[in-house]
Amino acid sequence: MEAKPSSSSPSKFVDQLVVPGDVILDLSNMANQTLKLGGGLRQDGDSICAMKAGKLRFMKPNKYWVESSQKRYVPSAGDNVLGVVVDTKPENFVVDIKGPALAFLPVLSFEGGTRRNIPKFEVGTLLYVRVVNANTGMNPEVSCMDANGKAAEYGILKDGYMFESSTGLSRMLLSSPPHPVLEGLGKKLSFEIAVGINGRFWVNASQSSTVILVGNAIQKSESLSLVQQKIYLEKLLKSIQ
Amino acid sequence: MSSFATFAKTLLQTLSSPPCVFTKVKTRCHHRDCYRRCRLRRRRLQAREKMEQRLASSLIMTVNEKKFIEDALLSDIRVDGRRPFDYRNLTIRFGSEDGSSEVQLGQTQVIGFVTGQLTQPYRDRPNEGAFAIYTEFSPMADPSFEPGRPGETAIELGRIVDRGLRESRAVDTESLCVIAGKLVWSIRIDLHIIDNGGNLVDAANIAALAALSTFRRPECTLGGEDGQELIVHPPDVREPLPLILHHFPVAVTFGFIGKENIVVIDPTHYEEAVMGGSMTATLNTNGDVCAIQKAGGDGVLQSVIMQCLRIASVKAGDITSKIKNAVESYNTQRSLRKIKRHNLDQQGSSDVAKHHMERLTVGSDQSGNGSQFNEHDKTNKRNNTLKGFSGGPASWDPYSSGVDGDALRTTLASRVTPLDKHKEESSPVNPETKPSPKSSDTIGLEMKQSKTLKDAVKPKHKRRNKSNAC
Repeated sequence: MEAKPSSSSPSKFVDQLVVPGDVILDLSNMANQTLKLGGGLRQDGDSICAMKAGKLRFMKPNKYWVESSQKRYVPSAGDNVLGVVVDTKPENFVVDIKGPALAFLPVLSFEGGTRRNIPKFEVGTLLYVRVVNANTGMNPEVSCMDANGKAAEYGILKDGYMFESSTGLSRMLLSSPPHPVLEGLGKKLSFEIAVGINGRFWVNASQSSTVILVGNAIQKSESLSLVQQKIYLEKLLKSIQ
Repeated sequence: MSSFATFAKTLLQTLSSPPCVFTKVKTRCHHRDCYRRCRLRRRRLQAREKMEQRLASSLIMTVNEKKFIEDALLSDIRVDGRRPFDYRNLTIRFGSEDGSSEVQLGQTQVIGFVTGQLTQPYRDRPNEGAFAIYTEFSPMADPSFEPGRPGETAIELGRIVDRGLRESRAVDTESLCVIAGKLVWSIRIDLHIIDNGGNLVDAANIAALAALSTFRRPECTLGGEDGQELIVHPPDVREPLPLILHHFPVAVTFGFIGKENIVVIDPTHYEEAVMGGSMTATLNTNGDVCAIQKAGGDGVLQSVIMQCLRIASVKAGDITSKIKNAVESYNTQRSLRKIKRHNLDQQGSSDVAKHHMERLTVGSDQSGNGSQFNEHDKTNKRNNTLKGFSGGPASWDPYSSGVDGDALRTTLASRVTPLDKHKEESSPVNPETKPSPKSSDTIGLEMKQSKTLKDAVKPKHKRRNKSNAC
């Protein structure tokens, strides 16, 4: 996701903070090029301006988007999210993914799912699902299978505890190089974690105290810089012993 | 095609694709059945949307969370790392006006605001003042709060806080009487919930107590020509009086989670969704139980209730001391502000720096004798701070670059009436000071009783009337 200077000079604002109204690119001196605009950008005649406040990102060859951290999630296809079942219908489960509308999980979208072996999810079940399509105005559709039809670790998450975070923290947890606090705790303690890009993450361990420690540490480290995170991690590990 | 075929075709068309506004047909069928079907479908769609909205706005809990909270409590630990009988971090802040407080208890935030008005007393209590509590659950606090009429929880919260203050006679209502049978002070406490992180009752109670402790009402005396007129003195002439609070009734909320009735204090939002029952005990530091509220929920053993009350009295002591500390520091700041303004007022503004030290000594003598500071029993503290005080305006007001006396006099002289309610865009000299003492006699300070408290309090950013200073 770094910007390398290419022949069609990418915007000066790449990897910098932009606010609504900033003109990212001037199209008048770029001809015969296709640009893909992601979230937070808008074409205004001959210029591309930012609509959201956040960091401008660029991916080769031609994708631009604005990345910001919010508590609400805007569903988009291909994301892996943590959903909670709120209702069951004959055709699909109604799942909440922290977006503007509830998502539908078709009853048959499980590996080897037929009408005979429909899983029984009660209200409040936590699921790790993939967003299949999310168009504005429609309820998004999610699925417990990957694109090839395999289960691939999607499905119900048992035990553990789900913590709320912001979308920015979820992205940080999923980024590589890994989040320092997460990595440090992982070396010392044994736990499993599932991160949904919609601002939720789930932690499970053999002991409740471990779960609480990991969850709270990650939540508190959101607003710390890298250096502060390392200091926080050291203090935390010392207090565990 | 034969006529029968066309008829069959149209009939099939009508039956198979019911014409209504939701499907794309060119003509709209005007049969009564179609209308009825349309209406039904529309109603069903609206009901579905409403249910979706309701589901989305209520707190969505997973089964994992419920089970985990109960399991973790078996080993005496809560989700945010607290122990079962620990309170969250409590921060009490005050606004720039007397009688406004902001309390933050963990994630929960409540704003309290106290105002007073002169009214007629109740017929059966002619020499007692009145007070009333109004709660507002702002929709920004929680997605399930709706604007408009207060819901059940809002009314219950208001009742708990009201009962704690009224039944225990914490607020001295008899001192609020001005003319028996005719005029009393009516105190209004507004509680605004800004953020719901659980345990709104405790936070709202602390906000009410903090706001009541810092509220000041103007002093009223009987005077005038015939001695029967009521004069409400504005705060710059006579120092407003605080309310008399006999004690601090502090509310402590317990939640009962799980079948073994594990007790937690100060439940968070998630714990409240999981708990089977809750109890709020209002006590003060003298050990009196002012009120207990347990509305529904799981039953608890008598021994558990007694244990809760013992724990609550300890917590009440902690919280009372925190409130008192916060109120004290606010009062010292307030009196410091008053001294600085009082000092600056004594002299013409052109020689501010030169005569500052002189004024300090004059001011301190006056302040020692003046009736303004009689009720403050912190004169010792203030004298100490006065001695440590040195220098001109720059030392106490970082924004001020000194005042141009002549320009000031001309602008002030051109003003029509001081009771004008326009907020003048004055320079940010004193962004936070309260209305300055006006020592002029030409400004009509005596006010008739028909004016309310709002008229008594001058707008904040008014420039003091230096041209009329002595």
